[in-house]
Amino acid sequence: MSEHNSEHSSEHNELDLKPTPGQRATNLFKRKDVQRTAVFGIFWTAVFVVLGLYIYPKWMPEAMSTDMKAMEKIMVGFTLISAPIAGLVMGIATQAITNRHKGNTPPPDGPAIRTNGPVVVVWSVVSGIFCLIAVVWGIMEVNTMANAATSEAGTALHVQVTGSQWVWSFKYADQGIESDKLMLPLDRPVVFDVTSVDVNHSFWPVQLGVKVDANRLQTTVIHTVPNKLGRIDVKCAELCGLYHAYMETTGEVMTTTDFNNWVTTNGGHVA
Amino acid sequence: MTTLQSTSSHSRPIPNPAKSLITKLHMGTGAVVGIIFAVGAYYALRPAADDPNFYNQQNKALLAAMLSWSVGFLIGIGAFIGPFRWLIGKDLTAEEQLYLAGDGQGIKRYFKYCTDHKVVGIQYLVGVMAMLAVGGSMAMMIRTSLAVPGGHFIAATIYNSLVGLHGITMIVAMIIVATGPFGNYIMPIMIGARDMAFPRLNALSWWVLFTAIPVLCSAWFLGGIPTGWTAYAPLSVQAGPGMNAFIATILIFAVSTAVAGMNITATVVAMRAKGMKWNRVPIFVIGATMSVALAIPAFPTFMLAMVQTATDRVFNTGFYDANVGGSGWLYAHLFWIMGHPEVYVILLPGIAILMEITPVFVRKPLFSYNAAVLGFAGIAGLSVLVWAHHMYISGWTPTLNGPFMVTTEMISVPTGLLFLVLLGTVWRGKPWMKLPMLGMFAVIWNFLIGGITGIYLSDVPADNYLHGSMYVTAHFHYTLMGAALTGAVAGLAYWFPKMTGRMLNERAGYISFWFVQIGFQILFLGMFIAGAEGQPRRVVSFAAMYKYQNMISTGGAYMVGIGFIVLLWAVIHSWRKGDIAPMNPWGAKTLEWTVPYPVPLENFDEAPVITSDPYGYGKGN
Amino acid sequence: METTTVETSSSKRLISALVFVVLGVAVVGTVGFTLHSLSADPQKALYATKSSETIVVDGKTYPKASIALGVYADSGQAADYGHYTTNKKDYVQYGPSTHLVLPAHTFVTVTISAYDGGEHLNNPYFGKVVGTVGGTINIDGVDVSNVPSDNVQHTFTLHGIPSSSQDPLFVNVPLPQVKADDQDNFIATQDPKTNFKGHTVTFSFITGGAGDYVWNCEYPCGDGSYAKFGAAMSTYGYMSGKVTVK
Repeated sequence: MSEHNSEHSSEHNELDLKPTPGQRATNLFKRKDVQRTAVFGIFWTAVFVVLGLYIYPKWMPEAMSTDMKAMEKIMVGFTLISAPIAGLVMGIATQAITNRHKGNTPPPDGPAIRTNGPVVVVWSVVSGIFCLIAVVWGIMEVNTMANAATSEAGTALHVQVTGSQWVWSFKYADQGIESDKLMLPLDRPVVFDVTSVDVNHSFWPVQLGVKVDANRLQTTVIHTVPNKLGRIDVKCAELCGLYHAYMETTGEVMTTTDFNNWVTTNGGHVA
Repeated sequence: MTTLQSTSSHSRPIPNPAKSLITKLHMGTGAVVGIIFAVGAYYALRPAADDPNFYNQQNKALLAAMLSWSVGFLIGIGAFIGPFRWLIGKDLTAEEQLYLAGDGQGIKRYFKYCTDHKVVGIQYLVGVMAMLAVGGSMAMMIRTSLAVPGGHFIAATIYNSLVGLHGITMIVAMIIVATGPFGNYIMPIMIGARDMAFPRLNALSWWVLFTAIPVLCSAWFLGGIPTGWTAYAPLSVQAGPGMNAFIATILIFAVSTAVAGMNITATVVAMRAKGMKWNRVPIFVIGATMSVALAIPAFPTFMLAMVQTATDRVFNTGFYDANVGGSGWLYAHLFWIMGHPEVYVILLPGIAILMEITPVFVRKPLFSYNAAVLGFAGIAGLSVLVWAHHMYISGWTPTLNGPFMVTTEMISVPTGLLFLVLLGTVWRGKPWMKLPMLGMFAVIWNFLIGGITGIYLSDVPADNYLHGSMYVTAHFHYTLMGAALTGAVAGLAYWFPKMTGRMLNERAGYISFWFVQIGFQILFLGMFIAGAEGQPRRVVSFAAMYKYQNMISTGGAYMVGIGFIVLLWAVIHSWRKGDIAPMNPWGAKTLEWTVPYPVPLENFDEAPVITSDPYGYGKGN
Repeated sequence: METTTVETSSSKRLISALVFVVLGVAVVGTVGFTLHSLSADPQKALYATKSSETIVVDGKTYPKASIALGVYADSGQAADYGHYTTNKKDYVQYGPSTHLVLPAHTFVTVTISAYDGGEHLNNPYFGKVVGTVGGTINIDGVDVSNVPSDNVQHTFTLHGIPSSSQDPLFVNVPLPQVKADDQDNFIATQDPKTNFKGHTVTFSFITGGAGDYVWNCEYPCGDGSYAKFGAAMSTYGYMSGKVTVK
């Protein structure tokens, strides 16, 4: 919250063009509208912090892979970063609403503030910094994923995912089996080689937090590491015609033993 | 030019009706010629039932019919009489030009090829409201069908069509919702012009757009469009005959936006009143001009994408068919090179309206005019460099996701400036809570939510999860509907007195406002949750785990629907019987409030001279 | 703000507004219900015939039921085999209905008489039999678990949205082609009147609890369209339909 207040003072201490900066800040915070704005701002910041910390994680499905975990962290982190900004915006707006003018004639003229150079500069710089944080965080995460995909490529399980209009099928070439369900062993890196036999689809194993389009005669690749046992929902995330909504199936992250058993009972061989 | 310097408004020469063809043409003759053209083209090209290339030939015949309808209508309404007469060396007489401007024709001029920018503005306003009503009704049907899982209310074929038609109807309506009515009616008066730079092109832009409406509606009778408004290839190549309606609509609409965009830009550049330097131009004019100027380079790529879809469907050219070396990614690129600027084409005028309104209702100058211009320019500039963020997960060159993430997130900086301008203007003011001002506060909230959720979606790892989910749907409705449409409705409430001479019924306006805004939050809160939980978008049915979220959404949607019906009543009722508005009900300082209602044919008796910007409110100004 | 009030009584205004809202809702509602009625099944739902017999599979006892379908090259051929439909023209189609209603927790035996020719599958996976009892289907008296992907005429592929409210159900049955050389110069699509009995494919699967599923054909038979999945394939009521388990 202090972060929010200090940003606030830096925004408005140039408005009162008089004594020392310290006095100006003090004077500014003696103003009733500033105090009220601060209170509203803190309230709204708190709303967004609660949303980020408690509500978002509840909405998101259980993370079953490294990528999903990273993604949930980003959702929470970005909400927390946005919270003071949202708090400031909504604080000013709420203060203005409580200060509204009623009646059928226009209100008296307010102060003729044409602009305020430092405020514009500080605002731009601060939003630039937040933007930079988001960009750097995102790029680092992309980089981590790309590195993981490269380093684990050798040991990874390869699954060929084929989208056909309105049904997914999965081919485990090394194991020599095919299935309509996506079965994955725990903690083993997996590479999905995704393609389509007709229109565009989008392969989305929900709890794994990754997604890639399926294109005709193209193989698009995604990589992840399932790290939790449980059920996976596989969906199509690109409108693909009549039964797009029904292009869903399930799968499971299982122990290596269970996975090998599943492979052999379906006529494949462990690889 | 219909701008006649010499004619005083009192002596109106009426052309001899027997003499000139232009007096006999109107919407009806346009429709007749259009239908003749369409039927003729269809029967000339229609394939035999046993044609081996039946589908290609059918697509050809339908496309030709639709485009011929548009051309025929324009011929029939007299759109080409001016150029034709000029071509044969018999340019229109002053009387005929005055007639074309709708002088002294009362309500009839709204159904004619009328060059008066105020008539065109009203035509756009009514057209946009009709389109929003149709698009909104489709939204109600989509939400009704999604109220419970199972897709029992509406079958998959019809549902998919609803999704696409709702999308494209709303996108088209939203592109013109501000620049159409207000850009045409208000903007020329605001800059002190007598009319647009090219009045005939102005009429053309409206009537071309008008011809797209029946074409789009015909999709319903041709089996619908199963592709969503993005019309991704190759699904669009596979789609049935209804797809032709979509293609023809875009081809026609792209012509309209190009014409309107050039006209508005030229008007603002060339026709400003004496003394109206660039830093004295009202901010709405700046925002609207940047919006249409952005549309000029954007829409041709959509047009090209559709031309290629059409040739794929008619001649099997295979631009998007991987089997013969084409690629669906080509379509996605062309589409989103238009698609992302288009989002800002919609958004900028909405925000610009609010910037115009806020100083008036707070009685303070616009806070940092330069920041506002920079914000608009920054968004417009960056928006052409971000398109591939719609393709993070398409598999197309994943290494380029990083750069596109950078440009996308950079947009948050100029967007932040827009917030700063609005907030700086209300800061320390006492906002006068009339309808337009309420809209401004609603937009602050909605755009904030839309903006923050946009930051998640611009992030590659987060988009890996969220792309194609209901979360995206909720996000862009917050920006396009919550921000841009609310801004446009605020503009309607603000300029209603100037456009109709009457005040918009305030009580109905408030009721509508609260129904719409509260319903909107409920509607898209439910959708955010369902999306974050993993419900894909554009699905006719969904798993039981999303049922409460969807039911909540549907409830909210009904509230929004009722709110908008109330608004429609308020508009119709107030237009007919509302309180007579004074010349300047809000005490604003822009030029449009200096002219009476009805606004004279050439707006100003004496050309205005500008000595300052229109934001001279406040003590000590 | 000075405005000149035009005299309309506020009660009159209120009534006008209320009437307008009601009318507005009615108009939208009417359009909605029109679309709803257009959404009705193109054919009458086909109910499985329940029998009094039961069967034991994997130690559990299920009641039995059966249902019979045909696949035709076009509506003319369907009519010739006694499944007259009002379906349009030359679309390949299942009959007599594409909406199947099956009893829950039942051993359902499906018999499909298949009369069409074919080329090859887009995705060879659908040549494999999935989800039937025993993992096989019976083609003209022979049990098989797989049909080569270049010998398929159509498939019956049943699936649904995985959901906590209904049991999973996935069945894929490939139907073998009627080959031109099965009988001299016989081409199913061009001469429906030929007295050819086609292939009879029989298979069984066990339904779970009540639920809504869909089925569609995975053989690309929407001629003239991209990936041959438009036209008949993308139009509800021909090569796709609903399965209601209740």
